[in-house]
Amino acid sequence: MKSPTQRIDDTERWLSETTEAARRRIGDEVARRRVWARIEGLPLGKDLSSRRARTLALPALTGALVAVGVVAILWMVPATRATHSPVLAKRVPSATAQPGPDAARVVSQGSSAAPVRTGRGEKARVALAGGAGVELDADSVLSWDSERRPWVERGQARFEVPHQAPGSRFSVSAGPYVITVVGTKFHVGVGDDRVSVEVEEGVVEVWRGARSVRLVAGDSWAGALRGLAPPVVEHRPSLASASSRRTSLADSPAPVENGPASMELTEARSALREGRPEDSLAMLSHCAKGGGPAAENAAYEMGRVLRDGLHRPRAAVAAWGAYRTRFPNGLLRAEADLSILETLAKLGDKAAALTEAEAFLARYPNGERRDEVARLAARVRGTP
Amino acid sequence: MNQQNPAESPRPRPIAEDQALVERVRKGDTLAWRTLYERYSPPVFRFVSALGVPPEEREDAAQDVFVAIYRGLKSFRGEAQLSTWIYRIAARHASHLGRRRRMRSFLSLLPWHEAELEPQPDPAEKASELRLLDQMLAKLSPKKRMVLVLFEIEGLGVNEIASVMGCPPNTVWSRLRHARAELVRAARRIAR
Repeated sequence: MKSPTQRIDDTERWLSETTEAARRRIGDEVARRRVWARIEGLPLGKDLSSRRARTLALPALTGALVAVGVVAILWMVPATRATHSPVLAKRVPSATAQPGPDAARVVSQGSSAAPVRTGRGEKARVALAGGAGVELDADSVLSWDSERRPWVERGQARFEVPHQAPGSRFSVSAGPYVITVVGTKFHVGVGDDRVSVEVEEGVVEVWRGARSVRLVAGDSWAGALRGLAPPVVEHRPSLASASSRRTSLADSPAPVENGPASMELTEARSALREGRPEDSLAMLSHCAKGGGPAAENAAYEMGRVLRDGLHRPRAAVAAWGAYRTRFPNGLLRAEADLSILETLAKLGDKAAALTEAEAFLARYPNGERRDEVARLAARVRGTP
Repeated sequence: MNQQNPAESPRPRPIAEDQALVERVRKGDTLAWRTLYERYSPPVFRFVSALGVPPEEREDAAQDVFVAIYRGLKSFRGEAQLSTWIYRIAARHASHLGRRRRMRSFLSLLPWHEAELEPQPDPAEKASELRLLDQMLAKLSPKKRMVLVLFEIEGLGVNEIASVMGCPPNTVWSRLRHARAELVRAARRIAR
């Protein structure tokens, strides 16, 4: 029986050790890389003064908006919660913009789903769901495709899209192309024979079938319109992209998973969270066949899905083994090594686990997880 | 509890070095931007986690912090450590998310709102001890929690914490003392 003093000592020691463990917590490597993929496209080196001026002007408006804000919060909270609910997120996959019920149009065009047409010298502004808005230029037509995405049928449109909730994307159709964004300002033009996109802020991806190009602020792109099929409206599991400026989808190479093209990984992770490990594995397997960081991430994450989602630890070990063969010096190599070691230890395969532990300690003599592996090895050996 | 700077925390660097890195980023040097991200993303992830941002919101929180860093680089004059400035941005953002979560939690009690779903545990974090620590930290007030996390986990000094939180150093000491006492009490309750 422990005395109260011993208990206090134990508690203090436990707190000290746990705080130490919290200090070593550096977050999921894959998550950090996903965030990098989203921010690497920021337009570095551009003058941000105008944006800053807008930021400074905001507080002046805050007072006037407080009363409206209280009411708005009550309305917005259920919607915000929906984005964090895997069940609800499943019902509304990869949110496409729909005409808002309170669509404020300068040019009134009947019901919210009816096309908005502007004549010569006429302009229209349409509010869309999710806080997005579109300014429709003269001689333009905006309607909605079968997936309720805004569809620029003809003319010029300037979209302003606020940052979308996690797991949501905002898509616009234009001819045979689909433009997908997270939060940005961009122009879409549909002429007689071509579709053009110009990006003011943020990053957008222009899709045609399984090919895409990625545009960052300041980029413009144009693609042929005539003789091509209307936008493909089925859900696209693969969102590959290749960074490109003034490029053509028709000429673009086969999809290369690279940088911001990690949306398929995000979808795979969502699928796992939503209890669809098979779908997740299929997406990851597809993604892993590509190249670049996204393929590397996918190859590693396949092991996690196999082990944690499908409860197939041996297959998980094989998947991580395949990762190591393909990416012997990959960024996730240490994670893969450790995952194999942990899984073998849980399987009770002592000999293999110890071999892995020794190899890990030899490979990373000064690694930050050395102590963890040494403890694990001691546990496998049955020594304190 | 240890008071040393952890090895994983951004080591205090000469201000000139930070300033040079920031200057390169401002000029559009992608490599410098990547260096800044690689250097500060682990502490940002750890910090927002320790402040109670749930796993499913951490990526977006980290992204927002780095977008805010990018936007604020123009105004960074190098008067403070870059790390202090980044912690300040992350702290502000985590506080904002915390207020929003508390508001959601409060509103979910109203009869016409559905109950909020419990956040999913992060599969990457298996250690039950860390989850227990997070649960105990969640019992602290946001200000005490922030002081404790900055001091004990992030390894910042009291003056630096005062700069991050915009309060006098004595207030930091006071909050730290109370936070430690509450944490130890909570740990003893669990140990009983």
